[in-house]
Amino acid sequence: MNGPTVSDRIIARQEPLSAPTFIIYSEKVKAWLSNSLASVKLTVFLISLMAVFVLLGAWCPQTSQGGQDKVFEQFGEQTGQFLINIGVANIFHSPAFLLLIGFLTVNIIFGSFKHVFPKLKLLKIPMPWLTANQILKMPVHNEFAANIPLSAMKNKVIAYLNKNGYKVKINGEQLTAEQGKFGRLAPTVTHIGLLTLLTGVIWTSLTGFSGFKPVIPGEVFQFGDAEHSKMWIGKLPNWSASVSETHREDYPSGEAKQWYSSIAVQDKEGKLIKEQTISVNNPLSYDGVDIYQSSWSLKSLKIRFGNELKTLSLQPMGKLFAAFLPLPDEAVLIFSVRDAQSPLRIFAKRKDWTAPKLLTQILPSKTANLGNVAVTYDGTIAQTGLQYKCDPGLPIVFIAFIFIIGGISLAAIPHKQIWAQLKENDSNGTLVTIGGTTKKGKVSFARQIAKLVDQLQKVSKV
Amino acid sequence: MIQMSISELQMTMTNVAGITSLLAFWAFVLGNISKWKVKIYQAAEILILTGFACLTAGIVIRGFEANRFPLANLYESTLWFAWAILGGYLLLVRRLGQNQLGWLASLMATMFFLYGSWLPGNQQTITPLVPALVSYWRQIHVPPLIISYALFCLSGLASLLELWYAGRLRSLALAAITIVLAISAICLGTYTSIDTAWLQLLFVGSSVAGMFLSWKSLSKIAETKVSTQKAEIYDEISRKSISIALPLLTFGVITGGLWANHAWGTYWSWDPKESMALVTWLSYAAYIHLRIHHELSAERLSIVSIIGLILTLLTYLGFNSLGFGGLHSYGRFK
Ligand code: HEM
Repeated sequence: MNGPTVSDRIIARQEPLSAPTFIIYSEKVKAWLSNSLASVKLTVFLISLMAVFVLLGAWCPQTSQGGQDKVFEQFGEQTGQFLINIGVANIFHSPAFLLLIGFLTVNIIFGSFKHVFPKLKLLKIPMPWLTANQILKMPVHNEFAANIPLSAMKNKVIAYLNKNGYKVKINGEQLTAEQGKFGRLAPTVTHIGLLTLLTGVIWTSLTGFSGFKPVIPGEVFQFGDAEHSKMWIGKLPNWSASVSETHREDYPSGEAKQWYSSIAVQDKEGKLIKEQTISVNNPLSYDGVDIYQSSWSLKSLKIRFGNELKTLSLQPMGKLFAAFLPLPDEAVLIFSVRDAQSPLRIFAKRKDWTAPKLLTQILPSKTANLGNVAVTYDGTIAQTGLQYKCDPGLPIVFIAFIFIIGGISLAAIPHKQIWAQLKENDSNGTLVTIGGTTKKGKVSFARQIAKLVDQLQKVSKV
Repeated sequence: MIQMSISELQMTMTNVAGITSLLAFWAFVLGNISKWKVKIYQAAEILILTGFACLTAGIVIRGFEANRFPLANLYESTLWFAWAILGGYLLLVRRLGQNQLGWLASLMATMFFLYGSWLPGNQQTITPLVPALVSYWRQIHVPPLIISYALFCLSGLASLLELWYAGRLRSLALAAITIVLAISAICLGTYTSIDTAWLQLLFVGSSVAGMFLSWKSLSKIAETKVSTQKAEIYDEISRKSISIALPLLTFGVITGGLWANHAWGTYWSWDPKESMALVTWLSYAAYIHLRIHHELSAERLSIVSIIGLILTLLTYLGFNSLGFGGLHSYGRFK
C-alpha cells in the first residue's frame, strides 16, 4: 500500500466541510414534510373527511341558510342547541372545515407538483424497442409460429392493430403499438383544473360581493349592505337600481310559472343607463354586477274599513297569501288572496268554531259591506326578491370547470401499449412474439391480444 | 282496429319494459340452474334488449305527450334510472360475456319500475314546472346525474360479484344485508309515515356497521369458491362503470352550478342536494386515488365501491325519503 491516493486525500479534505448535523436534520424534516404533504394517502384521508363534513352539512339544516328556527324545528330545542353549539349547524363556515380545505389545498399543490405534473415528461419518451425476451416478460404475452411469410404477417398484424385504434410503429423486426396516450393527461388536466378552481374562488372572495334585497315597486336600491369576505380588496358600485313594476305569471292551474321585475339602472346623477325586465333564468348584467329574480311574494294588502286605511302584511300559504287581523274575544279575521287580480276573500274564525267562515269576497278597488262597515279592497303590494352579485373570479372558475370535466373524462381512456417481434423462421413462416401492458382494463386488453393471436393462427392454418 | 291514445301507448311501452326486466331476472336465475344455460342466457339478453328499447320509446313518447323534456319529477327519473341500468348492462357488461350481473341488473331495474309506479300520484302525473325549472339547463343538468347514479349502482353490484368470486362470502353477505337494509329504509320513508328519525338511524346505523363488518371480514376467504379470473373481470366492470359515471356526475354537478349561477347568481350555495352530490363525487374521487395507489386489494376497492353505491342511493332517493335537510328547494323565499 502506498498510502492514500490523490482522490482519497481530496475526499478526506472534503470531510470537515460536510453539513452540520442540524442542517441534515432539517433537510430530513423538510423532505419528510414535503413527502407527507404530497402523499396520496393524505389525499384519500382528506377527501373522505371532507365527504363526512359535507354529509353532516347536508343532513343538518344550516343556520346560514334558514336561520336557527329550522334546526330547532327539525331536532327540537335540546338537540338543536347542541348541534348549533358544536358547529354542525353552520359547518361550512366552521374553522374545522376551513382548515380542512386549507389542508386539501396544500395537499393538491404539493401532490400536483411532486407526483402529477412530472409525469408529463413521460409522454414525450417514445416506446422503447423490445427484444423477444423482454416482450415475454410483459403482463400479457404470447408467442407462436405461423406458416405465412413475414411480410404478409406484418401486414396482418398492422391491419388488426390499426382497426382497433392503435398507432403502430415499425423498426425492422420490431413493432410497437400504442392507444389512448391522451388518457395519461387525465391527472394533469384534472389537477390543473382543481388549482385553477382554487385560484378563482380565492379571487372572488377577495374582490367579489353579493346580497339579497326584497324590493317593492318604486323603491331604489344600492349596494351598501352587500356581503363580502373579511380580507376584501374590492369596491362597491356607485350606481343604483330601481324596480318600476313586478308581477307573477301563473299556469292555468294556479301554480306560479314565472316572476318578472322591471329594473332600471341609474348613475350617480340619477341618469338612466339601462332598463330591463328580468325573470328567473334571465338576469340583468351591468358593470360586472348581475341582478337576479330569486323570489316573489305579495307583501301586503291595502284595505279600508270605512275611512280608516289599513295595510296588512301577507304571508305565503301554499298557493295563496293570507293576512290576519285579531279581534276581541280571540276571534280573528282572515284575509286570503291568490294574486293581484283575484278577489280578496274574508273569513272569520272564532275560538268555538271548528272552521273559518267565509264572510265575503271583494274584487280589487271594489267595496262590500261587512255588517254595517263598508270595506274597500285597495289591492295588494307585491315584493320582488332580488339577488345580486359581483363575481370577478367567475371566468377563472369556468375555465377550471372545463379542465376538471375534461380531465376526469380523459381518465376513462385506458392507455395500452403493445410490443411485438416478427421474425422469419426456418420453414419460411413467421415467429411472432407479442406482449403488452395497460393499467386500466386488463381483462379487455388481454382478450384483445388473445383475439389477435387467435385470428393470426387461423390464417396461418389455411 | 285497436285505438290507442298516446298516453296509453306510453304506459304500455313502460309496462312492457317493466315486465321484460322482471322476466329477464327470472331467465337469468333459471339459466344458472338449468342445463340449457346458453340458450336461456341468450333469451334473457333479448328480454333486456326489448325492455331497453320499449323504455326508450316510452320515455320519448312521454316527452311528446307532456310537450317538454321528460325528466321533471321523481317518477320520470326512476324511468331514466332503469333505462341507464339496462343500457349500462348492454354496453359494459355483455361485451365481457358475464351473465351473473344480468340478474342483479334486471332486478335493480325492476325494483325501480316498481318504486316509480308505487309513488303517490302527484309524483307521477305530468305537472307544470315551477319557475326555476323552466329552462333548457334542466335537460343538460339532470340526465347525466341520473345516468351516473345508475352506473355507480351497476358498479356496486359488480363489486358484490367480485367479492363472491374472490371467495369473500362473509363480506359479501354483510354487504348485501347492508344494501337491503338501506333500500328498506328508503322504501319505508317513501311509502309509510314512520318517523324519519328512526329511518335515518336505520339507514346510517346499518350502513356504518354493515360496511365496517364487511371490511373486517375480508380476511375470511372461502378458498374453494375462489375464481381469480372472474373476480378480475368483475373488478374491471366495476372500474369501467365508475370511469364513465364519474365524468357524468362531474358534468351534472358542474352544469347544475352553471344553471344556479345563471338563475340565481351563485354556482354553489351548499343546498343539501348539491352537498349530497358533492359527497358522492368526493367518495369516488377517493376511490380513484385509492386505485392509483396500488396498495389496496381489489376486494377492498369493491367495498369502497359498495359504500359508493349506498351513498349514491342516499343522494338520489334517501335524501328526500329520509327527510334529510328538506327538499331541493327551487324558488326560494328568504
Ligand atoms: C378533490 C380533489 C381531487 C380530484 C377530483 C382529483 C382527481 C384526479 C383524477 C381524475 C386523476 C386521474 C385518475 C386516473 O387517471 O384514473 C387523479 C390522479 C392523481 N391525483 Fe388527484 N384529484 C384530487 C386531489 C388530489 C390531491 C390533493 C392529490 C395530492 C397528492 C392528488 C394526487 C393525485 C395523483 C398522484 C394522481 C395520479 C397521477 C398518476 O399516477 O398518473 N389528487 N386525480
